[in-house]
Amino acid sequence: MLKRSFAVALALVMVVAVFAGCSKPAVDTPAEGKSDKYGGIFRMAVMSDPPDLDPVHATDTSSSRVLYQLFEMLVDLDSEGEIVPNLAESWTISPDGLTYTFKLRQGVKFHATTENGTPTANGGRAVTAEDWVWTFNYITNPKTNSERAYFLDMIKGYQDYQEGKTDHLAGVRAIDDSTLEITLEYAFSPFIAVLAYNTFVVLPKEDVEKWGAEFNFHPVGTGPFKFEEWVQDDRVVLSKNENYWRTDADGNQLPYLDGIEFKVINDLTMEWTEFTLGNFESIEELDDPYYHEALSKYPDSFFERPQMGTYYYGMNVTLEPFKDNKKLRQALNYAIDRQGLIDLVRNGRATPAKGVLPPGMFGYNENLVGYEYNPEKAKQLLAEAGYPNGVKLTLQYNSSDAHKRIAEALQQQLKQIGIDMELKNVDWGAHLDSVERSEVPFFRMGWVVDYPDPDNFLYVLLHTDNFGPNGNYTRFSNPEFDRLTKEARVESDPEKRRKMYQEAEQIVVEEAPWLFIYHYTTHQLLQPYVKGYELPSFGAYSAKYYDVWLDN
Amino acid sequence: METKPVMNPRTAAGVKADKREGRSLWMDSWLRLKRNKMAMFGLFLVTVIILAAIFAPFITKYHPHEQLIWTEGKAAQLQPPSAKHWFGTDIYGRDLFSRVIYGARISLQIGIASMAISVIIGVTLGAIAGFYGGIVDDLISWLINVIFAFPFLLFVLALVAYLPPSMMLMYAAIGIINWASIARVVRGQVLSVKEKEYVEAAVALGGKDFRVILKHILPNVLAPVIVQATLGMGDVIMLESALSFLGFGIQPPTPSWGYEIDQGRQFLLSGQWWWSIFPGFAIMSLVLGFNLLGDGLRDALDPRLKR
Amino acid sequence: MSTYIIKRLLAALPVIAGVIAVVFILTTIVPGDPVRLMMGQRGDPATIERIKEDLGLNKPLWWQFLDFFRRALTLDLGKSYRNNMPVTRAIGQRIPLTAKIALSAMAIAVIMGVTLGIISAVRQYSILDYGSMFVALLGISAPTFWVGLLLVVLFCVKLGWIPGTGTGDGSWIYLVLPVITLGIRPAALIARLTRSSMLEIIRQDYIRTAWAKGLSERVVVMKHALKNAMIPVVTIIGIQTATMLSGAIVTERVFSLPGIGRLSVEALINRDFPVIRGEVLFLALIFVFTNLLVDLSYPLFDPRIKYDR
Repeated sequence: MLKRSFAVALALVMVVAVFAGCSKPAVDTPAEGKSDKYGGIFRMAVMSDPPDLDPVHATDTSSSRVLYQLFEMLVDLDSEGEIVPNLAESWTISPDGLTYTFKLRQGVKFHATTENGTPTANGGRAVTAEDWVWTFNYITNPKTNSERAYFLDMIKGYQDYQEGKTDHLAGVRAIDDSTLEITLEYAFSPFIAVLAYNTFVVLPKEDVEKWGAEFNFHPVGTGPFKFEEWVQDDRVVLSKNENYWRTDADGNQLPYLDGIEFKVINDLTMEWTEFTLGNFESIEELDDPYYHEALSKYPDSFFERPQMGTYYYGMNVTLEPFKDNKKLRQALNYAIDRQGLIDLVRNGRATPAKGVLPPGMFGYNENLVGYEYNPEKAKQLLAEAGYPNGVKLTLQYNSSDAHKRIAEALQQQLKQIGIDMELKNVDWGAHLDSVERSEVPFFRMGWVVDYPDPDNFLYVLLHTDNFGPNGNYTRFSNPEFDRLTKEARVESDPEKRRKMYQEAEQIVVEEAPWLFIYHYTTHQLLQPYVKGYELPSFGAYSAKYYDVWLDN
Repeated sequence: METKPVMNPRTAAGVKADKREGRSLWMDSWLRLKRNKMAMFGLFLVTVIILAAIFAPFITKYHPHEQLIWTEGKAAQLQPPSAKHWFGTDIYGRDLFSRVIYGARISLQIGIASMAISVIIGVTLGAIAGFYGGIVDDLISWLINVIFAFPFLLFVLALVAYLPPSMMLMYAAIGIINWASIARVVRGQVLSVKEKEYVEAAVALGGKDFRVILKHILPNVLAPVIVQATLGMGDVIMLESALSFLGFGIQPPTPSWGYEIDQGRQFLLSGQWWWSIFPGFAIMSLVLGFNLLGDGLRDALDPRLKR
Repeated sequence: MSTYIIKRLLAALPVIAGVIAVVFILTTIVPGDPVRLMMGQRGDPATIERIKEDLGLNKPLWWQFLDFFRRALTLDLGKSYRNNMPVTRAIGQRIPLTAKIALSAMAIAVIMGVTLGIISAVRQYSILDYGSMFVALLGISAPTFWVGLLLVVLFCVKLGWIPGTGTGDGSWIYLVLPVITLGIRPAALIARLTRSSMLEIIRQDYIRTAWAKGLSERVVVMKHALKNAMIPVVTIIGIQTATMLSGAIVTERVFSLPGIGRLSVEALINRDFPVIRGEVLFLALIFVFTNLLVDLSYPLFDPRIKYDR
């Protein structure tokens, strides 16, 4: 009896083996008209577990990295940061800038299966304008508590809905199956850019309602990859969406990859080591110590470019010693050798910051009158500021090796002009909390845009409306600046806007509430056999993998 | 089990005679310790490191915070060990030998200060619990059990992770965790000493509780506390380095061995081994020293194990 | 016996309550707001307020404390602030890996430690004795993470025997280094304790006499001696098993393993208080149970100890 069943099992195994043996070449040889780019799993090492795979609650880049593969927005950013159609094929804006009409792409379907072939609740049906209306209502519903709903506060009826005065979001409606109309409370020029944010994706009502809070662990979207498995702090596995709408130039259906595996290796040293051992196709971050080695080993598959972000030390203008002391703030800005710092501790991987806006951003000013390294002038300003014998400052920063290295280097530079900078590191939560409460005079901060528009820099981080948690941590307040950045929000003429932002930025530079340090770069290291990858200027975390393929 | 009572208040000549007897007991122990080669090696390690910490400025040419990249340029970065820099330099061109030497100060400070806190709390609470018994004992024993049942690393992490970092906080956080084992030992000792006739007599003669505890009971618990504290020093030093490794350590640019290992760790794989290796050996030597010494003290102070 | 167990468990209740009280106090006095942290770098004050209200964070501390216990009785430890996962599930998912590593490490530590300890005791003052005791001393003197790091450099990078860190493809080979790293310290502790405990018993008169009488007696008594000597060893095994779970924090960090320790570090960084509380409760319970198990095992080694009453 036992022997018989063993024999049967053996036979089964052999049959399977034979079939497996046969099917292999069938995959490898391109069938007629099929591309040979298909196949393979893209394995990427990431630093931390994404907290949220529910786009409605995601607020961080490790979540976004995965969400971009699972879900899609109406519009998207190309690798240069320009807005391009995505699930909306085209759109028109009314002359008053209040009404946006989107023509939706046909043939976009929700994932039909997920998690090892389990059918989804929506059954893989097509996306209609009604789905968008439902989704926008769901996101802005006060009961949903979406952390990013407030990005949409310019949509008509948002306040009433949030405060419970109405039961739906008035400003969003479906004209027909393929036409969506969004009406705004007030004209807001960067609105389209906001819609490229990774929370504003279309969701399948059936699956969201089926899972409730558990949707975070069973996400279903329209993206090129489907959710397979998420083992907390270990890995997130995605598989190819067979019904994806996009095709390549030859009409081959995308994506090429069979799947993506994000593996959590929470140590940059190990990420790099395992990458060199061939365990990964890509790693989240290449730490500075291995930079030169990586450049020489992977000259053609290491990508790096400026990113829309700025690294700075904030000086709270309502606290001593920075209060009413513009000269002290300026002295600090003249006292640091940005390029020297970047070369020494960042391996040259950043651009010195003359002002707020990073290069590549709309409104970036080539001719900005900014700060350069001038210790003499710094000393002189310091004396004029009332500190001829130097001054003692305490910088608070959030614990991280990179921040520590920069702070230690700047500490040394500032010493040259008699500024004694003490360092105090606290964890991110305490840092953010105390900085927002205006308890910290001098603090490290950085900002990378949510949407590529100077509004997301100047208005959000420096306008009087945004004191505290909203982004203005230095409590900088300047009436002229406030007027310019507020008016620029509704201005529709790009040239006028550009001028307004440049003027506003010059005010900030003169008033110096920040110690401008550098603009970030973004980078991604890939194995040489990874093809079709483009590094987005928005940040490597926003890279899409639908047309990436493995040449091995 | 217990060391012998060192004082006997009943005889008039007691004080004088007992003092001599007490001294000879400690002397005996010292002689025993001296015969123990391993213990003497431990004592040697600890002494050398303590001396190095005290005389650090005379031993090294460089200040541990001095970043040579600003004066000597990029060439000063990550230099391998040489005659000029015995342990090499780090990414800022700081002399690692001097950072390791000065780092001894930090490790010893944390070890001694937090152990002092533990001993003070532990001895006080342990003695009170053992002496008074009853509800006081129940309460303190409960507290001891709570501390034991608390995952200690999580406790320390929670304290140092959220509160503004400072050396004082580090002493306190570690000290608060370690007192329980000392209190437990002291309580046990006091319980057994309390029953001894001479203590009962002292109480009967109307001695103040405080005085009785201080004069008649504490001397008897000293030996086990010394052993416990010496052995505990090693654990505390390791704990500090683990905290630094997890990213919850003390402030830069203060040189701490754990911080150096953590920083150098990133360079360990790219060939700059010296940054992480030397501080590692430093921790190991100091902890080894305390462990050997503690072992030796236990053998020397515990007559049961007399050879 | 069962009355004894029940008594012990009842006695543990106030201790557990104390542990939870401490963690509650700790998590409320610390600066920084968990809900604010959920929002990312910028947040909308109205949403923050609403989420706080929903989570019951505006309620007084004593209310939250009692509520925690009320729900803990129904095995509901709340949900993670970070990803909304029920805490019991979050812990449950991590247990298998940490348990696998910790128990393997412990098994190896016991085998190695007891063997070395006995050999050293029996051959006291031999080269073998000095050698193994010195190695054991190094084992308790070297920082765990540093040893783990050196092992990675040696076996993953230089020799290439082990493919990498993390869980890899789930194969056992990935767990070899973590198990060694985690096992070194308890192995060293057990070896030292076994040796000293054996020495103590060997020195006793009845053993010496038996020893003198000849071989057969010697074997019998050795068995007895060993059994007796095991009591302190069993105690330390219990303590080490319980602390190992929190000691796993460091090892799991070095090897990027998604276990209990990693969960607690992530929870601490993110101020994920329900997870921290749940985990502290869980670890305290483990501590109580291992201690009970250890006590219950004493009669196996010394028949004079009984828990009849």
